[in-house]
Amino acid sequence: MPHPLRRAERGAGAFGESVLLIGPGAALLIGAFLFPVGQILVLSIVPPEEGLSIWANFARFFEDDYYLRVAWRTFRLSVIITLVTAMIGFPLAYVVARSPRIVGYTLLLLTVLPLMTSVVVRTFGWIIALGRGGPVADLLSLTGLGARDATLLHTETGIVIAMVQVLLPFMTLTTLGVISTIHPHLEEASRTMGAGFYRTLRHVVLPLSVPGLVSGSLLVFALSISSFVTPNLVGGVRLPVMAGAIYQQATSTLDWNFAAAQSTLLLAAVLGLLIPYLALTRRRHG
Amino acid sequence: MTHLSKGALVAVAASLLAGTAMAQETFVINSFGGAYEEAHRRLVIEPFEQMYNVEVEVVTAYSADALAQLRAQAENPQFDVIHFSGGQEVTAAAEGLLAPIMPDQLSNYDQLYPFAVEGLEQGQGPVYSVAVLGLLSDGEAAPTSWDDLFSASNGEDVAIADITNTYGLLTLLMLNQVRGGTLDDIQPGLDAVTELLDNGAQILSSSPEFQQAFAQEATSLEAYAQDYAYTLQQAGLPIDFVQPAEGSPGIYITANVVAGRPNEELARAFVDMSISAAAQAGWAEALRYSPTNSTVELPVDLAGQVVYGDEAAANLVRFDPVVVNAQRSDWTDAWNRAIAQ
Repeated sequence: MPHPLRRAERGAGAFGESVLLIGPGAALLIGAFLFPVGQILVLSIVPPEEGLSIWANFARFFEDDYYLRVAWRTFRLSVIITLVTAMIGFPLAYVVARSPRIVGYTLLLLTVLPLMTSVVVRTFGWIIALGRGGPVADLLSLTGLGARDATLLHTETGIVIAMVQVLLPFMTLTTLGVISTIHPHLEEASRTMGAGFYRTLRHVVLPLSVPGLVSGSLLVFALSISSFVTPNLVGGVRLPVMAGAIYQQATSTLDWNFAAAQSTLLLAAVLGLLIPYLALTRRRHG
Repeated sequence: MTHLSKGALVAVAASLLAGTAMAQETFVINSFGGAYEEAHRRLVIEPFEQMYNVEVEVVTAYSADALAQLRAQAENPQFDVIHFSGGQEVTAAAEGLLAPIMPDQLSNYDQLYPFAVEGLEQGQGPVYSVAVLGLLSDGEAAPTSWDDLFSASNGEDVAIADITNTYGLLTLLMLNQVRGGTLDDIQPGLDAVTELLDNGAQILSSSPEFQQAFAQEATSLEAYAQDYAYTLQQAGLPIDFVQPAEGSPGIYITANVVAGRPNEELARAFVDMSISAAAQAGWAEALRYSPTNSTVELPVDLAGQVVYGDEAAANLVRFDPVVVNAQRSDWTDAWNRAIAQ
């Protein structure tokens, strides 16, 4: 018969160890995330003038056509960027998983390499590549796809291209993690039963990769909806996105309460996607 | 072995020295990055470090960011001297973020032009440099007037700065003045900008973008700063600077003492060194900034490239920084709406 006291002692020890292990992470989360986010929430409900409701900053956002258009562009571009990274990232992850090790590692290295460069340097590379007189513009006019002065700089297409490059590793790595757990025997079974390569990919690998694709998409969406440097430099000032608008209000027009309200909305949009996802995955696993 | 122990001794000695250097209170200022910061270090920061035996920490922050940081740090300021180029000292002084400087606390006070010390009474720091906004051309276009922006043979070859950049704000106000507007009504200026955009003009935010646009021949005419024309020339681009016939606004760069820091006296010494004739001649020579110290004498070739002297300085257009700062937010908002696609 196990000793009841000893078990309790062991429980207390395990609790102490958990606190010790979670401590640094929790302290960082509270100090560097929860506290500033809390401050932003408080700022966002401080009305611009006394006597107005605590929703005044939010109302201003929703009543103004300009900000709604900025929000719509941000949302639309994030969805497009997520779809494009998924469309490139899934086949790439599959190839990496099923290639000989050396080829897979090389591909992986090439995918992750952009993350090793500073975002500003990388974005300036895109400014040169996409701008008038740059290689992409030259290619477009050579192939007759664009006018002589064609440029993708300061266009939404340019933003998508530059963002996909940055975010592709997140999608590829997350999907790769899931694909590598799919046993190749499953595909072999499908092939022996007469399904072709693409049919196997479509009906066996793709459905089994969904968890990886979903979490990759969430990551990419959350990162692109809040991204600031790349849209600002590649898209330019005439294609404002929400993060850029918030930055401008915080540093230039110094309207902190309105900037905080927009930040809160952005956070709500990301949480609005994350929470259902977490709930769903918990149900599936538990 | 002896070599090794000698090396170890040196290392210990070095770390001890570094320890004493660490113990000194660091003196924090902002600068504007790039070639500006390089010249800043050579002309003011390094001589100051040697003269007063302090270590100066330089934070790269443009004026708008610098003001935002000062405000955020109001309770616990982190800068000793703050430099502004967009009239932010008016706001900062009004909000009590700056420590006022008395004329007798600056040994170089009497040498400055009156316009450079106008702000001292309101608690602002002195103007130590003036940069001139005008037209930069690649030599093909030979502009003489602000109107040339509108008559450029290819509208897409024109670039102006965004309003968050001080030069962009001044471009808007200058075009507004040329088109008959006033500081109470900037609609003519906004209309002029919209007209430029309809012609295909680009709006750029940062200096490197202007350089890149010229380098890739994406523009041939830009409304930007005199000193930046020189930076581009140094980079090997064939760029001329033209001061348009209607006059051009000056950008007044100030050095301000931050309130609530322990070493205000040292900060005033830094400001005093910034306005000295030696430093100002250095600014003109290094970056083509106009001096505000009347005793500065420039070589003939240099004087031709820099707005220089009493009369020349008087020909500059200066928009009332009080009005500009009061209206800045509203103008930024109106500008954003006018240019958004």
